[in-house]
Amino acid sequence: MNWGGFQALSHLWLAALLAPLVLFYFLKLKRPRAEVPSLVLWRQALQDQRVNSPFQKFKKNLLLLLQILLLILLILAALQPFWRGGPGKQRRLPVLVDCSASMGALDKPGGISRLDEAKRRIRQMIDGLASDQELCLVSFDNTARQRTGFTNNKRLLRDALDQIEVEDVPSDLEQALRLVQAMGRSEPFDEALLFSDGNFPPRVNFDLSFKLNYQRLAPAGQNFGITALSAQRSVTGGWDVFVQIEGSPDTEGNASVELLQDGTAAGNERITLGRGRAQRMVFQVSGDRAASLRVQLTPDGFDSLAADNTAYLDLPQSRPLRVFVPKSMISYRLALQGIAGIEVFPQATSDEASGAFDVVMSDRPQDMNLPARTRLSVGFIPTELQRFVEPGTNVSEVVDWRRDAPVLRHVQLADLVILAQPRFTANAGEGDLENLGWEVLIHGQRGPLLVRKQGSDAVQFALLFNTDRSTLPYRVGFPIFVANIVQAALEQAGLAEVDANRTGVLPPVALASRHRYDIEAPQQKLEPVTADEHGIVSGVRASRTGYYSILENGAKQRQLGASLLSPTETSLAGVEQIQFNERLQVAAASVPVKSDRPLWPSLLMCGMGVLMVEWWFFQRKPGGWK
Amino acid sequence: MQPLAPRPQLTSLLPNSVLDRLERLRIRPVSRRTSRSRGEHLSGKGGTSTEFCDYRDYVPGDDTRFVDWNIFARLHRPYLKQFHKEEERHVVLLIDASASMKFDGKLDLGKQLAAAFGMMGLLNNERVSAYASHQANDAPDRLPPCRGRASLRTVFQFIEGIDGRGDAPLDRAVERLLRHHSGRGVCLIVSDFLTFGDLKRSFNLLYSAGLEPFGVQILSPREIDPDLASDLRLVDSETQETLDISTSSDLMNLYQEYRLGLEQELSMLCRRRSGQFLSVSSTTPAESVLFDQLRRKGWLE
Repeated sequence: MNWGGFQALSHLWLAALLAPLVLFYFLKLKRPRAEVPSLVLWRQALQDQRVNSPFQKFKKNLLLLLQILLLILLILAALQPFWRGGPGKQRRLPVLVDCSASMGALDKPGGISRLDEAKRRIRQMIDGLASDQELCLVSFDNTARQRTGFTNNKRLLRDALDQIEVEDVPSDLEQALRLVQAMGRSEPFDEALLFSDGNFPPRVNFDLSFKLNYQRLAPAGQNFGITALSAQRSVTGGWDVFVQIEGSPDTEGNASVELLQDGTAAGNERITLGRGRAQRMVFQVSGDRAASLRVQLTPDGFDSLAADNTAYLDLPQSRPLRVFVPKSMISYRLALQGIAGIEVFPQATSDEASGAFDVVMSDRPQDMNLPARTRLSVGFIPTELQRFVEPGTNVSEVVDWRRDAPVLRHVQLADLVILAQPRFTANAGEGDLENLGWEVLIHGQRGPLLVRKQGSDAVQFALLFNTDRSTLPYRVGFPIFVANIVQAALEQAGLAEVDANRTGVLPPVALASRHRYDIEAPQQKLEPVTADEHGIVSGVRASRTGYYSILENGAKQRQLGASLLSPTETSLAGVEQIQFNERLQVAAASVPVKSDRPLWPSLLMCGMGVLMVEWWFFQRKPGGWK
Repeated sequence: MQPLAPRPQLTSLLPNSVLDRLERLRIRPVSRRTSRSRGEHLSGKGGTSTEFCDYRDYVPGDDTRFVDWNIFARLHRPYLKQFHKEEERHVVLLIDASASMKFDGKLDLGKQLAAAFGMMGLLNNERVSAYASHQANDAPDRLPPCRGRASLRTVFQFIEGIDGRGDAPLDRAVERLLRHHSGRGVCLIVSDFLTFGDLKRSFNLLYSAGLEPFGVQILSPREIDPDLASDLRLVDSETQETLDISTSSDLMNLYQEYRLGLEQELSMLCRRRSGQFLSVSSTTPAESVLFDQLRRKGWLE
């Protein structure tokens, strides 16, 4: 069995220093002379001492022996001996550190977080890192980030480790594994180390090509958290705010939930949460103006995770949906008449239709330029699709449709007859449309009938056939289809239902085109962003719960709240076994990783002790004869 | 009435007050070893002194002057009166004046004791001779035997003139002393007795020569309790030989064992030869040695 070794055996040449040490000792040894009346007694005593003490010759040069011992200890320390911690050592070892929200959970009141525990164990590994070993730190939450390359620079590794902080987002192990796998192509390794509390899905869609040492951290304490926050438009024109509270599996107890509207208390409720149960509650909020809601959960007892105790929701002002439909599209206008809460333009008594609309339905291509977040083109092929789709003349029927698409919900299209069915051009197919961002929702016999393109802040539907030359307006599903379009527009405009923004990435925000803004994030410094040509600010990372302010020259333009709202993270549950593809399973290691224990600090301490003894021995009686 | 002028100091070795007290003391040998020459010491044999000793029958040829005629008148038989014989006793002073005696007033105390013994000898009409050994190869400085109060100054001057030098071992000094000496008595040896020589032979020689050995070992405080530190190179003050030592408690204990062993051995050597032995520290005042230790040990009376 290999008990240990030396990390820097090349420093063995330092042993040659023993020779000059001995040489200098005897050259430099100058005993103080002390004149005594006679040596008679001393000589006899000394002879007797040498006879009676077999090690007296060594005692005679005790200082030299101490110096040799000190030098040997220093040389040994320079050789960097270590005590073997594990069965073997990997030359390259990627270390994956989970820094998702659940890793911030404390084990007890005033205790340490899971991430701190992981960092402590990794720091031990770094301390015991051999000179021929390299570590690579990878932190992951919902994204993976390589903190260092493969290196044995301990200072670099420690600095990188210190920079890893808990992000208030769920974890995605798959991304981290893919990143590590990609690293392995340039710098091969056999094993990777994973430090996590196991708060991720038990099944990972990943073909594991290396050995994974899953170091599951001890579970944290009990936890309450807000796992859902949304608002729906009520029939009274206000908002019904839905809040869901869950806890970790073994948690039960009482808590209070407080709703603040623009900083003012708007509701308060006491809840009792049973073991493994969830509590849902509804608050009514006025919708006559936009409001910023904050829900604060305050458990009575210990709560290990604070990030899920606060959630934020931005409510828009309640208003009618503005719908533009040309007067020529009579069937659509008739279908819209039965829907409450909308305003149809142009109105029946006027041709005037100006301003921004929430939805535009038109059979005229020029109307697609009207400002709206939801558009439905009817009877013509959008310009960018004309290369792949062309109008047809054949009568056809619907082959299939996406029944799970929101706009086709409860719409029956079987036996629908279309007189002029569009068709794919030569060599064109569905893939060409998908490359342009279009998704086919209704398939005809020779081409698509309904396509959808989801943009960052707008959605466009295109009915590629003329509905007036089909049986669709006469079907029961037609008003349902129109209502679904209106519902999609309501959701797009945020007027029907509003979900709280989750941490990760902030939703796109429409501001001035190509303007430069600063994002003020919680506990972070300002980060500059620039709006695109449409004035959309998107891709802003929100790694912490709290309010994110968009500033222009220091003036606040918008404020968005980001909340954790993750039942998985709130549950703090950890998987014992990870299931990979091809039925490969990786169980949590039963023993912690034992890193090689460096012995040089102990040797240096011993050397210091020897030095003190030598100093004491040399200084214990200064001088000879007084 | 004018006060008396202070009496001049007789010697620098001892104050007059000590000398006055010494006048009333005399050396008390263990056995009476005297010379055949007439003196003031009873020899233990029959003699012609005035102190009656015994009677014995007259035999022809006896000196009729010693017949007790009163007894003859009463008993009509001649009895001869016997008297104690008073013989002369020698006091030999052997002062070790080698370099080792220079330390810490060892030689000074030795000279004071020698002067005291010399004075006591002279005042008790004994023959006093003195020897001071310096060099190993040279004969010791010698003061021929003298007697009487008139020789006091001579003895003091000789002793005062002794200085510490040389490497004379004590055994060699005894040998050279005996080449010049004749007569029985006591031999006061003032030395540190730190010699590699054979002291037993020296004491035998003294005893054979009719001298009772009175040994006074004078050691300095740092010889009695050395205070040394760490690694040292000891240098012999007489031979300049060196010895490297690393002081330790073991070594110091052994040193003390040997010092006490030497003291016991010297004591034994003296007692077995009808002598006396005393070991004193050089810091002990001479008065304390003379009037306290020596008197209590019975050296003086």
